[in-house]
Order: sequence, then structure tokens, then C-alpha cells
Amino acid sequence: MTAVLDATGLVKRFGSTVALDGFDLRVSAGEITGLVGHNGAGKTTFARVTAGLVAPESGVVRVAGADVTRAAARVRPLLGLAPQELALYPTATARENLGAFAGLYGIRRREARIRIRQLADTLMLGDVLDRRVRDLSGGQQRRLQAATAMVHRPRLLLLDEPTVGADPVTRDALLAVVRGAADDGAAVVYTTHYLPELDTLDATLAVADHGRIIARGNRAALLATVPGHAVADFDRPPPPLAAPAGSPAEVCREGTRLVITAPEPASALVPLLAAHPDAVAHLRSIELCPPTLDDLYRHLVKS
Amino acid sequence: MSRQPATRLAAEARHQTVLIARDPGPMIGYTVMGLLLITATRPLYTALGTVIPGPPSAGIDQAAAGMAVMFSLFALKVGAAHLLNERTWHTWERLLASPAGFGEILAGKALPIFIAIAAQQALLFGFATAAFGLHPRAGWWALAACALAWSACVLLLGSGASTLARSPAQLSAAGDIVALLTSVLGGAIIPVPLLPGWLRDIAPASPGYWALNAYRAALTGTPSQLGRPLLVLGAFALAGAGIAALIGASQHSTALPVRRQRRTRPELTG
Repeated sequence: MTAVLDATGLVKRFGSTVALDGFDLRVSAGEITGLVGHNGAGKTTFARVTAGLVAPESGVVRVAGADVTRAAARVRPLLGLAPQELALYPTATARENLGAFAGLYGIRRREARIRIRQLADTLMLGDVLDRRVRDLSGGQQRRLQAATAMVHRPRLLLLDEPTVGADPVTRDALLAVVRGAADDGAAVVYTTHYLPELDTLDATLAVADHGRIIARGNRAALLATVPGHAVADFDRPPPPLAAPAGSPAEVCREGTRLVITAPEPASALVPLLAAHPDAVAHLRSIELCPPTLDDLYRHLVKS
Repeated sequence: MSRQPATRLAAEARHQTVLIARDPGPMIGYTVMGLLLITATRPLYTALGTVIPGPPSAGIDQAAAGMAVMFSLFALKVGAAHLLNERTWHTWERLLASPAGFGEILAGKALPIFIAIAAQQALLFGFATAAFGLHPRAGWWALAACALAWSACVLLLGSGASTLARSPAQLSAAGDIVALLTSVLGGAIIPVPLLPGWLRDIAPASPGYWALNAYRAALTGTPSQLGRPLLVLGAFALAGAGIAALIGASQHSTALPVRRQRRTRPELTG
């Protein structure tokens, strides 16, 4: 598949702080990549480098084959950027904000009017288009910010924590419109700390840590590398069960509970209980906790 | 989709006009104050005209030119605040990330501010003409040339000021001091010949001094004396533009330059 975004070996320092340290990322047309990582992992710096706001010390970012540093004029019309902080004109109306950004991207006024109406309908902003931004709720402002990044149908959409502080309705609307942009062929880099959103977006995953990508790929494949848990609850403290020799499972007793941590915890639990039928008689419940994206992130950063 | 600079510049100028129209209070205030002070100070300047050395000048000439210079300097604050707002609203980086080049953005933002300042000048002189019979003896073209040159100078000095200010409060406080100082030094409030000697000596350092000289030449019918003040105003304007470009560029040095697109097609990576 064609890579719309291809970043290779990016290095960027701010004084003694290394923000990017060999950052690589490729995102294809129609793909949403969830870029996750702790604060300071390099996510925002990467977005700023890709948007041409920060020059990397080394490395290359190509958008649709054009180098962001050397061919900025060719790249910028292809980009849609929604930064982490709200960046809107508070004294202007929502419609005027959208019109201003559409104009900056050279969209003619008639075409802009149609596009603004479409985005407003999708993002539930239709009723507030003629209200000043400062009078909108936080959620409406968030949706408007995303809309201003998408008004020109960019080929690469950079969304830096677009749902921070957003209510569930706002979040759902934003996620739907982002998914729609990807379905229309845009490549999306979606930075977030709310990992369940990536399930909703059906995004691939890129985990950043200390300025580089430490894991990249399909969510299911990455999750398969992370231990999950099975919790067996007994009506009295269970006997000290041990995992069979050579098993990757870890077994831990917590009062009346037995916690098994393993890549496939259910598979690890079954032989363990089968070997102790006396304990099974006192079993009250079994809870399976497959690894979540949060677990994956913690596991990757820890390891 | 058209990506021509003129289209983007027009869009930015349209948007800046909206932003000015949304917050017209300060501009209206500085214009109304000018109208009131022209009315109030005209008798004073008429009386002073008999003791001021130099070409004979009607009181309304000094009142209109002085207030036009002083209140356009206060209006400078308004223009600078609009530029500073882009930073406080975090929209500046979004502008830089757009296809619009640095020059297009600045020109698009500056054009409506320039028009607003020029309109303020036109209103003040129009009022002086209608109410008190102001008559530029060198011709209306001379007065218009002065107003346009001074408006451009004010605009570019304001652009420079906006890059130096760190916050709206700082800009407001510094703007008031600079506007008053420049007006006093330039002779907008008290004619230069009546200033203390040490102030007279440093008066030419004020762009207001040259603006008033230009206006005086247009109003008293000495167009031969118009060239030098207009040239000096041009130099002040260039200095303001230089400050805006240098400091603005260093503050946003992280932004990559927009190079003109080559005619080759982008190479798609597979």
C-alpha cells in the first residue's frame, strides 16, 4: 500500500532534551495510526516536524513522496493539523473559522460553503455555526478544531490528542469523522492517551518512548505479546499452586484469589486446576482479563 | 482547488477584516477621542499660531494633523494587538502550517489594519474639513499621500512592536507610553517650537515629528517640503518591517521556509 507519510530516522533536540531520537513511522492511505506514549515521548514534536513547524536535525519526513523540509510548499496543502491546544479565533463564529482555514488552503468560497455544511452536520455543529467560538462549549470547540483541520480534505491528517476533555458524545462524533476521513483515503496519525479510542477507530498502533517508536503494528498482533490475567476466586484460600515447569505463566495468591498472568491466561489456568481437583471443589468464579492496550503500553514501556 | 497566493491573501485579509469588525471598540474610541480633541484644541492652536515661528498655519491645521498623528499611534496598538492575538490564540502555528507563506500571512493580516488606520485619518481630516474648513493648500493629493505614508509607517512599526511584546497587557502598557512619547516629541500636542530645548533636539528621532512635518507641508501649501519627511517616514516603516521580519523570524525560527514548488511531480513511495 502507498505510504502517504514516511518518516525515517528523525532526530530533534531542544537544548539537552532529546525529543526525537531516531523516530520512524510510515502510514498508508486509509490507515489510522494511533500514536501513543507517555508525556515527553516525542509525539507532539513528531507532529510539529511533520507539519513543517520544527526542522529536524537529521532524518527525513516525506508526505506523498515530497520532503517536508525541502518541498514544504508542496507538502503543506496535503496536511491537516489539529494541535493539542485549541487554536481557533474566539471572536469569530464557527463558520468564519472554518471559512478562514478553507481560504488558507485555497478552497473557493462556494465549495467551502458546501464543505462547511457537510462537516457541521457530521460533527453536530450545524446549530452553532453562527455562534462565536468563545460562546461554544469545550466539546463544540474541540469538534470545530478537528473540522478546521479537515475542511480541505487533507491526504495526511495529524490529530494531536483531539479528544482531550471531550465528553463521550463529542468523542464519538470525532472518532466517527476521523474514521470517515480514513475511509475516504486519508492517512491519519492520531495521538492519544485514551487507548480504547484506538479500538473504536480500528487503528494500527505505534508506541513512542524516549523519542523513538518501540512497537509498531496491528493491535491484535501486539496484544498477543502481552500477558493477560485469569483470576480464580475460591471460597477459602487456595492451596499454593505452581505453574508447570517451563510455563511462561506466573501464579500469585491474593487471599482467596489466585491470579494467573500469562500470554494466554485461560490456557494456563486449565491444566493448573486440572492438577488440583480438590481445589476446584471450592472454586466460586473465574474471571478472564485479556490484555488491554493499556496493558500493552505499560508492558512495552516497562520492558 | 486554487492555491494561488492572491486567493490565500484575499482569504486572510477577509478573515482579518472580520476580526477587526468583531472588536471595533478601541478603534472607534481612538477616532472619537481624536474628533473631540480636534474640536477642543483648535482655539488653543489658533491662539498659539500668532506666537509660533515658521509658516503661517491655521489652528485647525495643527489640531487636525496633531490629533491624526497622536490617535493613529494609539490605533497602532490595536493593529499590534491583532497580530499578537495570533500567538495568544495559538493560531499562528496553524497559519504557518498552511500553504500560505510568511509574507502572504503578514500581508493578508496587515492590509485591513492599514485600511482601518487610513480610514481613521480620513475621518479626522474629513471632520476638520467639514466642521472647521480645513483646506490643504498643496492639494488633496498631498494630504492623501501623507495619510497613506503615515498609515503604512504606523502599521509597520506596529508589526515590529507586536513581535517585541510578550503579552497583551505588556503591549497595552508599552503602547500607551510609546504613543504618547512619540506624539509629544513629534509636536502633536505641543508644537515643536514651543517644546523645551532638549526635547526639540531629540524631536527628529520621533516618526511623529516627520509625519507632522509632512502634514504641515501639505496643509500650508509647501509641497517642496513634502519629499524629505515622506522619505524619513519610509525609513521608519522599513525599520519596523525589519524588526517584524527579524524578530518574528527568530521567534518562529522553528518554522520551515516555504520554498516555491518545483514543477516535478512528487515521487510516491511504495
